[in-house]
Amino acid sequence: MGKGKNGGDAPGIQTFSEARQRPTGDGLAGPAAPPTEITRGVVTILLALYLVGLLLCVAGNSASGSSALVRTIKTRLFSPWMVPLWLDLAYDTRLTYGTPDDADHFLELRPWNAPASATGATLRLPAPGVRGERAARWRRLARALVVGQDDSDREGLLPAAVAEGLFASLGAEDLSLRVLRTIPPDRDVASAGGRGTVEQAYACRVRRVAGEVQLLPLPPAAEVAPLVANEAPLNPTPRSN
Amino acid sequence: MNAPNSPPPDAATAIGEWWNRFWFLPAEALLLAKVRWLAGGLALLLWWSYGPDLVTWFGPQGLVSPEVSSQWRPAYGLSLWDATAAPAGIWTLYACGALMLLALTIGFGTPVTSVLAALFFASLLHRGPMLAGPADDVTALMLWCLAIGRSGDALSVDSFLAARAGRPAQPPAVRNRIALSLLRVHASVVAAAAVLAQLKGDVWWDGSAAWWLAARTNSRMVDLAPLLANAEYLTNLLTHGVTLFEIVFAAGVWIGPVRRSVAWAGLVAWPLIGLLAGEPFWGAAMAILALACLAEE
Repeated sequence: MGKGKNGGDAPGIQTFSEARQRPTGDGLAGPAAPPTEITRGVVTILLALYLVGLLLCVAGNSASGSSALVRTIKTRLFSPWMVPLWLDLAYDTRLTYGTPDDADHFLELRPWNAPASATGATLRLPAPGVRGERAARWRRLARALVVGQDDSDREGLLPAAVAEGLFASLGAEDLSLRVLRTIPPDRDVASAGGRGTVEQAYACRVRRVAGEVQLLPLPPAAEVAPLVANEAPLNPTPRSN
Repeated sequence: MNAPNSPPPDAATAIGEWWNRFWFLPAEALLLAKVRWLAGGLALLLWWSYGPDLVTWFGPQGLVSPEVSSQWRPAYGLSLWDATAAPAGIWTLYACGALMLLALTIGFGTPVTSVLAALFFASLLHRGPMLAGPADDVTALMLWCLAIGRSGDALSVDSFLAARAGRPAQPPAVRNRIALSLLRVHASVVAAAAVLAQLKGDVWWDGSAAWWLAARTNSRMVDLAPLLANAEYLTNLLTHGVTLFEIVFAAGVWIGPVRRSVAWAGLVAWPLIGLLAGEPFWGAAMAILALACLAEE
């Protein structure tokens, strides 16, 4: 089929006009009709529009924020059709900044009156043994509970929904919900045999009273525990120092 | 009409030729079909990861209620799952989506199933936006690119049935070129956006990022922590290697003489980065984008 050589500068490369006139090989349907000037013009406009939208989405969804100009153009002209397609994204996969936000988060729920040592009454999500992308989704959910507290529109909404959804599983309508995260040690500390810690990132009490779900945020606790082996303990103990 | 400051006609012609060749030179479906198999398979795996917790998240007493979901997603976000919270409805939609993705992967009814598969996939992500990760983002864009091309013309049930019916194979198509070129644009943009985001963090400058990735006890795929804890230079090398590769990849796919070498390197490096970062599906998705960069020009 007269493939060109690799790369645009290769000696055997054909121009677009030449390539359009290439014969087809045996066993193929007739040559595809080349796009007309009008078709190419329309498609070029659509492509240019999408590429502008792509750049604005990358610039406008960055974790660093965006200018009012970029935000307004993107929101008014591009978001209406790029959001439904799940294309209005920044693609800013940072992987890690080494901050507590980047640590592995998990959820811990138990009946409010159950003692902290009652591991049988405690539900941990992702459950031990759950791995891969399924566990990653639970970790994202746990992290979203923490991140959502910084947004006045979302504050408390997700924790209340999560706890309410687990009332039946835990057999109680008064729950303690905590988001914990396993903070890795500094490399220097690890090389000296030190281990990471488990930190409480968010805590609240969620209960149903007279059919209404109430969320009572608990004050932040400087609660950490040494990380034992490779598994975070379910019930971190208060910091001793 | 040449204004005094306009580029010479030769430059304009060259740019026009490049644009036409990049977007409109008919391309065979074989490479796009390979992308379809891999991206479809990856989408099925990601789809599968929702299965065990589907009702726990989206059911009648779901943790991610429709109210939470609507508050979390941006304006204009829509989901087919908004229509039902009943387990039967949720499972029906889930099964339909799985069938569409399977049909896309094997290339059955591709012109229709490729669009529906992308629609179902985006819809599931919109139902629980806080559950979606970087692999979902890249997979979604690949599915939309596949919906543009004619990937079902090769390595597919469609092409098999056409051959059995005695119909000739489809010639190279402009739609395949547009799809492959869009995939290449996204490969570059996603890599560039990732490296820009990373370089805002100190750990990517002081060379410790690889340690923070390896030391995450729950999400890591391979335990390099014992190795890196006592090897500062190796940690630095891995960290800088990741950022350097991402920069080279984002730029290299546009440089003719090295484009295919960079793409081949991406097929190996992206999965390794994904393993190191505890995001193996993201690494796989980026490798599939790298594959699309091998397109002939």
